[in-house]
Amino acid sequence: MTALDPETALPVEGVPPAPPRRRSIARRIGGGLWNFGRRSPFSAFWGCIAVAIILMAAAAPLIAPYDPLKSDFRNMAKPPFPGHYFGTDQIGRDTLSRVIYGARASLTVAIGAVLFGTTLGALWGLASGYFGGRFDIISQRIIEFLQSFPDLILAMAIAMALGAGLDTVIIAIAITRIPFGGRVIRSVVLSLKEMQYVEAARGLGASHLRLMARHILPQCIAPFLILATAHLGVAIIIEASLGFLGVGIPPPTPTWGNMLADSLNAGLVPPWWLVLFPGLAITITVLAFNLLGDGIRDVLDPRLRSAV
Amino acid sequence: MYTYVIRRLAFGALTVVGVSIVVFLVLRVLPGDPLVAIFGPEGFTKLSEAERAGYMDQLGLSDPLVVQYLRWVGDIASGSFGRSFFRAESVAEMIARRGPLTAEIALIAVVLSWVVGIPVAVVSALRPNSMADNVSRFVSILFLAVPGFWLGMLIVLALLFWFGYRAPLAGAALWNDPVGNLQIVIGPAVVLGLGQAAYIARMARSSLLEVIREDYVRTARAKGLNGRRVISRHALPNALLPVITLSGVLLGFVLAGSIPVERAFGVPGLGYAMFTAVSERDVFVMQNLVFLYAVVFVVLNILVDVTIAWLDPRIRYR
Repeated sequence: MTALDPETALPVEGVPPAPPRRRSIARRIGGGLWNFGRRSPFSAFWGCIAVAIILMAAAAPLIAPYDPLKSDFRNMAKPPFPGHYFGTDQIGRDTLSRVIYGARASLTVAIGAVLFGTTLGALWGLASGYFGGRFDIISQRIIEFLQSFPDLILAMAIAMALGAGLDTVIIAIAITRIPFGGRVIRSVVLSLKEMQYVEAARGLGASHLRLMARHILPQCIAPFLILATAHLGVAIIIEASLGFLGVGIPPPTPTWGNMLADSLNAGLVPPWWLVLFPGLAITITVLAFNLLGDGIRDVLDPRLRSAV
Repeated sequence: MYTYVIRRLAFGALTVVGVSIVVFLVLRVLPGDPLVAIFGPEGFTKLSEAERAGYMDQLGLSDPLVVQYLRWVGDIASGSFGRSFFRAESVAEMIARRGPLTAEIALIAVVLSWVVGIPVAVVSALRPNSMADNVSRFVSILFLAVPGFWLGMLIVLALLFWFGYRAPLAGAALWNDPVGNLQIVIGPAVVLGLGQAAYIARMARSSLLEVIREDYVRTARAKGLNGRRVISRHALPNALLPVITLSGVLLGFVLAGSIPVERAFGVPGLGYAMFTAVSERDVFVMQNLVFLYAVVFVVLNILVDVTIAWLDPRIRYR
């Protein structure tokens, strides 16, 4: 029998309710992390790298050896050497510093897009799966229209229509994330809403809002987390592609995609260090998030292996 | 079967209409003046009020939105797809000239993804958690993280560095100059194909692992078939159904992915046209190309669904 929500469970006469034993939040999270590390050390390692990249982005001004926008006119288009470990671009900007600052743009966009898009999609999927009926049918059609575009193409069109900028890139990528969140969460909700504990809560007179928020939503958190980490990687690649195609965050802001696009404009043959390092940064970041996501999925819900 | 196909086609037609509305809404109605998109923010502020109105009239942008939409639908129906804002060529001519290159790239990429992905998946699934399995899983997850266009740039650089080789830049048609054509197409196709192979390998592996546990596979083993025959005749055909579906979705990724990849290789295909349209802020070309890509994507997915239904009676009779 599934555990009933303690607040809606009927008190049994004569038996005093057991005092709630709750570990402190910090210890629960710590224990969870420890458990995660033990069960999939490989993912935990890559999770640490993901955290390191986030910290690097946050502390970019402290770590970066140079100002990413400032030109060093004595060292222009130099291959890597001590002093500029990743070399300099054609107007003498330090590639290492630009790669470090590039993490800021990429992660801001990726996290922003996932927070907006995947969350909006998930809430939409929750509502459409829960209510069903006409609302669900119309929602499914709209989601299908959105899904008829390969995501990069939709993002390009939206970014171009809205004009270049950090916020517009976030919106463009967020919109491409909506249908995925909607689809996955809806299917989870469809099976959840037939569960007995939901029936029981409904029988006790819980309102729609309460049923959705207290009984169904908590069960959606695992699939949502899995989806969100997977989407972070996708969002980073889309952001880089948009930058590469010139519809991302406008220069001179250093982003990995912009740097790769710049390298093509550097001359007939792009200098190898201007190509190699930003791309490596993208690859390592996306790999870290993907493997972290895989680990989270394995720990939280192995059944979703094929769903996401 | 026929009812299934007809129903699928009807839904497909509805989707195409929906897609056209979404494209129109995104590129024409979203906040963002088309003149700003064409002239850029600085250019726009330099235009006088009268000039703006004149341009809007000339472009047919001052008519009611419904009229604009219907005119666009008329353009599509007449097969001309309207005109580029900057070039003499109509969009239809551009598609006819550049489309085949991109189509070739996509086709080779899909074939390659199967040729590489399926054997890797079979090796993985036969010995789960073995060394070979772990290596192939890591390589495939690595390929999911590598941006295709970056890999393309690296390949171009490496070929130039070590072999002094550069693919011909001019477009060559398959029937006039097959060798030159292949040289242009092969790079993007390999990059996109490998990226897809990673998805295919992952999907095929998990699907094979599920199928191998089925009763009919055990029966085949029990009646004495050797391992290879069990896999190739009994397990693989059933495991491939979800892979075919995935392949349809991945074709969309190839079409989209070919935009930056064609830019990286400098291949004059439709993806490069899309890149040009974006950098020139050519809303009209963009609108038609986005619509075209989406329609191709929808049609391909219908084809995949029908293929699946043809292969698997369970879906047909549902």
